[in-house]
Amino acid sequence: MDVYDNNTFNGNDDFPRKILSQLLGSNGPVHAVTYSASPGTYILTGSADRSIRLYNPIPASPSSSTTTTTTLSTSFITKPSQAPSTTPPQGRLIQTYTSHGYEVLSLSVSSSNATFASSGGDRAVFLWDVSTATTIRRFSNQGHTTGRINSVIFAGVDDSLLISGGHDTTVRIWDVRSQSSSRPVQVLGDAKDGITSLAVSPGGAEVLAGSVDGRVRTYDVRMGRLVTDVFPGAVTSLCLARDGKTVLVGSLDSKIRLMDRSNGQCLRTYGGDGNANGDAAGGWTNKEIRVQSVLGGGERWVVAGDENGAENSNGEGRVWAWDLLTGKLVAKLGVPWGPGGGKVVVGRDGKEKERKNVVSCVAWKDGGFGNQFCVGGTSGVVTVYGEA
Amino acid sequence: MSYKRSRATFEADLTAQQSPYVFFGTPLPPRDPEVRDDGSYVPIWKQEVRDERGRKRLHGAFTGGFSAGYFNTVGSKEGWTPSTFVSSRTNRHKDTPKAVQQRPEDFMDEEDLADAEEAKKIQTNAAFAGLGSTANDATRASGLMGLFRPQGETMGVKLLKKMGWREGQGIGPKVRRKARLELQNDATAQTETFLFAPENVPMIAFVKKTDRKGLGYAGESGLTPIGRSAGSKKGSHGDTDDEDEDDYGALGRPKLTIGGGRKKETSQIRGGIGIGILNDTGSDDEDPYEVGPKISYNRVIGGDKKKKKATIAANPTLQAKPKFITKKAASSILGKVGLGVRKCHDGRLPLDGFVFGKESDALTTEINSEGKYPPPQIPPGWVSSRTPKPESAGGSPANYVSTADVAKASTLDPKARAALLGEKQLPGKSVFDFISPASRDRLAAVTGRSDLPQALGEVPAAYARSEAEKQQELLDRVPKLDKETAIAAISRGIGGGAPYAEDEEKRARYRGYLEVQAGFRPQLPPKPAKLTDEEWLREFHEFFNCARIFKPMTGFMASRFTTSSSTKSSASTTGDTKEVVSRPPPKPEDPAEEAARLGMFGTMTRSVTDFYPTRLLCKRFGVKPPAHVQPDNYDATSGKKKDDVWSQFQSYGYQGGGGPGTVERELLGLEFGSTGGGGGSTAMADLERGGEAQKPAAVVLDTSRNEALEGKRPGDEVFKAIFGDSDDDE
Repeated sequence: MDVYDNNTFNGNDDFPRKILSQLLGSNGPVHAVTYSASPGTYILTGSADRSIRLYNPIPASPSSSTTTTTTLSTSFITKPSQAPSTTPPQGRLIQTYTSHGYEVLSLSVSSSNATFASSGGDRAVFLWDVSTATTIRRFSNQGHTTGRINSVIFAGVDDSLLISGGHDTTVRIWDVRSQSSSRPVQVLGDAKDGITSLAVSPGGAEVLAGSVDGRVRTYDVRMGRLVTDVFPGAVTSLCLARDGKTVLVGSLDSKIRLMDRSNGQCLRTYGGDGNANGDAAGGWTNKEIRVQSVLGGGERWVVAGDENGAENSNGEGRVWAWDLLTGKLVAKLGVPWGPGGGKVVVGRDGKEKERKNVVSCVAWKDGGFGNQFCVGGTSGVVTVYGEA
Repeated sequence: MSYKRSRATFEADLTAQQSPYVFFGTPLPPRDPEVRDDGSYVPIWKQEVRDERGRKRLHGAFTGGFSAGYFNTVGSKEGWTPSTFVSSRTNRHKDTPKAVQQRPEDFMDEEDLADAEEAKKIQTNAAFAGLGSTANDATRASGLMGLFRPQGETMGVKLLKKMGWREGQGIGPKVRRKARLELQNDATAQTETFLFAPENVPMIAFVKKTDRKGLGYAGESGLTPIGRSAGSKKGSHGDTDDEDEDDYGALGRPKLTIGGGRKKETSQIRGGIGIGILNDTGSDDEDPYEVGPKISYNRVIGGDKKKKKATIAANPTLQAKPKFITKKAASSILGKVGLGVRKCHDGRLPLDGFVFGKESDALTTEINSEGKYPPPQIPPGWVSSRTPKPESAGGSPANYVSTADVAKASTLDPKARAALLGEKQLPGKSVFDFISPASRDRLAAVTGRSDLPQALGEVPAAYARSEAEKQQELLDRVPKLDKETAIAAISRGIGGGAPYAEDEEKRARYRGYLEVQAGFRPQLPPKPAKLTDEEWLREFHEFFNCARIFKPMTGFMASRFTTSSSTKSSASTTGDTKEVVSRPPPKPEDPAEEAARLGMFGTMTRSVTDFYPTRLLCKRFGVKPPAHVQPDNYDATSGKKKDDVWSQFQSYGYQGGGGPGTVERELLGLEFGSTGGGGGSTAMADLERGGEAQKPAAVVLDTSRNEALEGKRPGDEVFKAIFGDSDDDE
C-alpha cells in the first residue's frame, strides 16, 4: 500500500519522514513534548515517571548509525523486521528536572528560554529555572482544587502570565512577576467540564481554552468578550496559527478541524471516516484519548498522533500528516516502540498483552516553522523526525 | 563562767556512762539510741509516747502541731493523697523496688487484733475431748463412752463416706434398675435402666411387747397423759423417765426403728397460764396472747362434721390441744412413710412390726433364694371360694376399660352403629352433606381428625340456583375498575410495560378484563377450564390491584408530573421483556451542539458573551481594559469578587439604554453572520463599536455612590404616605 510508503506517497514533498533520533530515559509514558523557544534546539519531555527531561535531539556522533539506509524511516507494514536492525541514534539527555510528585502532563517554555512551566497530577504549576533545574515558583495557593492540570501555557507581555487549565473546569491565570501574591490573577470558570488544552494568540491578548464539554472558549481580553464555539466532541487539542486567524481544533469525534476564528466557520476537516475529499485518509480515529495535533512545516501540514497503534505490529504507533489546504493525507509514519521493546507486558489474564504505542503528544520545531518534529507516547520514547 | 554543756556532748559520753564496767574493748552502743535503759533523765521534749506497736502517739499540740494529721493518720505531709496512676507499661510492677505491702493488721484496732489472736489459738477437736469436757451436755450424757468413741460420725461412717456412700443409701455395689419416678404411671413403661445405689436397709428393731393386747391393737386413742405428745404411740406404754435414754441404744447408738419408731413431734403448747412469748414455738398461726375460750370454731359451713365432733369430744382441759387422728391416718403417718404406702388386700395397712413379704430388699431375696421359707404349697384341687365375678367392673382393675375409651377405640361412625343396631336411617342429613370439601378439610385440620365424613357439598333445593345465576353472581363479584384507569392501564400495556409478560394467557385475560372495565368489550372472556371459580375471581382481584396503579392523576398532582412517553414500536413484540418500561425523554438539544454535529460551524455554533478581565490581566497582556470593565472598580487583589458583583449587575440587565444586550447582540451577530459570511464579523464589530459609542454616558458608573440610596431625598409626602399612620399613633 503506497499510503504507508513514505517515499512513494507524495515523494516530492519535503515532509520530514526520517527518524533523526530517539530520546530515551523515560520510565513511563511521555505525556508532553515541547521544543524550546526559537530556534528550538532542545526538546523538553514530560513523563509519567514524574520527571521532565531536557534533550538535545541531535545525536553526538551523527555519522555513526545514520548511514544505514535511505529508508530508515519505518515502513512498518512492508518491512516490519527492519526496525530492530537499524536502531536510530539516541538524543542526548542534558538535564532531568524532578520535583513533581505526579505525572507531568503539560509543558511550556518561555520565550526567553530561561524558564519553563510544567503542570501535571499535583495540583500546582511549577515554574522552573532551566539552568539550575530548580523550581522558581509553585502556583498552588487557591489553585486548582481537584484533579490534574492538563495544560499550562505562558502568556502576556514578556511571558508575565501563566495560564493553566485542568480537571476542575477552571482556567486560572497566574502572575509570574508578582512575587508576593500567590493567588491567581483571574479564574475563568465558564467551562462545564475539564479543560484539556489552552492556546494564547500571539499578539491579540486572547486565551483559548478547549474543554471536554465540547467548547472552545476564546477570552478576548482586549475586547472583554468571551466567544464560545461548540464542537461535536470533547476538545482535546488546540493549535493556533501564527497569524492567529485560524485555529486547529482536535476533538474526540475523530476529526481535526481548522477553524476560522473570526466567524467560527470550519475551513477544513482532517481525519475521520472519510472527509470531503473522499480520499483514503479515513483511518484516523480519535474517540477516547487526548491526542495532540499541531500545524507544522510552515503551516503546510497538520500533524497528529494516533490513539491506535498500527495493526499487528506490537508496539508501533502512528503519526498522521495531512495537507493543510487540501486535507489530503500526506504521510502516515510508524513510530517504533523503541529500545525498551524487549520488555514483555503481561496482562492480568496471564497472557502477553499486545502493546499499543499511543502517540499522544506532538511538537513541531520552532512553533511549526522548523524542519523537524517529535512525537511521544506510551512507549516513553520520544521519536524525532527530520528531513532525510 | 560555767555553762551548761550541750545535749549532744552529754549524749556523746552517755555510752561511757551506761557501761562503766567495760574495761576492755568498746562498749556496745545502746540498743536503741532513743531509749534510755539507765533511767537517766530525758527532757520532756525528747520524750515520746509510743503505742505498743511502736507508732508515735500524742502529737498535735504537744509536740508541734501540724504533724498531727501527718504522723497519725495519713501518709503524707500534704494529707491524704490518692495513689497516682503509674503506667505499668513504662514502670513495670516488678521493677519497683519494694511495694509497700499493706497487711490486714494495719487496718485493725485492738479488738480486731485480739480477735485475730483468739482465732489463732490451737485447741483439741471437741470430738476427742471427752474426758472432763463440759463443752456440751450431750457429751457428758454419754458418760465414759465419750472417752473411747468420738462423738458424731463413727469411723465406719467416715470410711464409708470416703468410699462414696451417702447417708440414706444402702451399702453395697450399685444396682442397675429402672428409675422409680412416682409421677410416671405404669402405662408408659420405661425401658432405660440406670445404676442406683442400693436401697437402704432399715435396721430392724423389735418393739418389745409388754402388754397383752392383740397384735396391731393401738389401744385407746386420745386421753394421753399430760406432757406427752398426742398421738405418740409410745405414749400408751413406755416410761417417761427413760425417754431420753431411749434415744440411744446400749452403746449410745441411735436406734433405727421401723414404723414404730417414735417421731418426735413438737408438742403444741397452747393457752397455758404464764406462757408468754418466750414459749413461742415459732409457728405463726398461733398467738400466745390469744384471749378467749379455746374453742375452735368451725369456720367452714357445711364442712366435715365428723371432725368437728371429734374436736368437741376432746378434753378442753388438756394442755395440748388434742388432735384427732384416725387410726389409719396415724399409722400411715407414723409408720409407713419410708416403706411406701402399700396396703393389704383388704385395704388396710399391715400391722405394726410386719412388713410385706414381697418387699424386694436384699435380705428377703436372700432368704427366698435359699429356699428356707418357701411359700406353702397350694393343695391340689383347691378352689378359692371367693372367685371374683366377671361382670364386676372393679374386680380386675387391669382389664377395666372405661366407656370413653371404648368409644374412642371404636371405628364405627353413627351410620355404622345405626346399621349394627338395625336402626332406620334418620331422614335428616348431616352437616357434612352440605358443606363443601374445602370446608370439610378445614374442619379436619382444625380438629385434627381425619375420620370426618366426606363432604358432599349438596345444595338445598331452596337455595339451588341455575348455572346462569351462578355465573351472574360470580361476575358481580368481579371488582369494578374506573374507566379512566382501565384505559390508562391498557395504554400502558400497549407501551410494552404490561404485566404478566411471561404468561401469555394471563396477559390476555388481563387485557380482557381491562377492556371490559373500559367498556370496549361487552362481557368478560369465558372462564378458562383449568381455573376454578375461586381462582378466577382471585385473578380478577389481582388484575384490579395491578391496574389500579395506573389510575390517572387528577388535578394538582397531575400538574406536577408528566407522563413518560413510551415507545409504541415495541407494542407488537410480545416477548420483549428486556424492553425498559419507559425511557426518559431526551434532553432538549442545544441547537449549537446540533449544528456542530451537523457540521454547520459558524454563527450557529458560536455565542458571544461579555468577559470581564481583571485589570491586572489587561495590564499583563499589555492591553487597555475593555470599556465595560471599569478601571476604578477594579482592585487587583480582590478583583474577582468585584468582578462578580459587576457581572451580576450586568446580568440583571444593566446595560445602559442604548447598547444591545448580550442576547440581542448574539441575535444581531447571527443575522449578520448568515448574510455577510466572513464579513459579518466586521460588521458586527462595527455595530459593537456603535453600541459602545452610545454606551459611555450610561455605562460610566461610579460605584462609590449609589444613586438609589444617596440620591435626592424623596419628598416628605412620600414618607408620610408610607409611615404616616404610625406617626399618628405615636
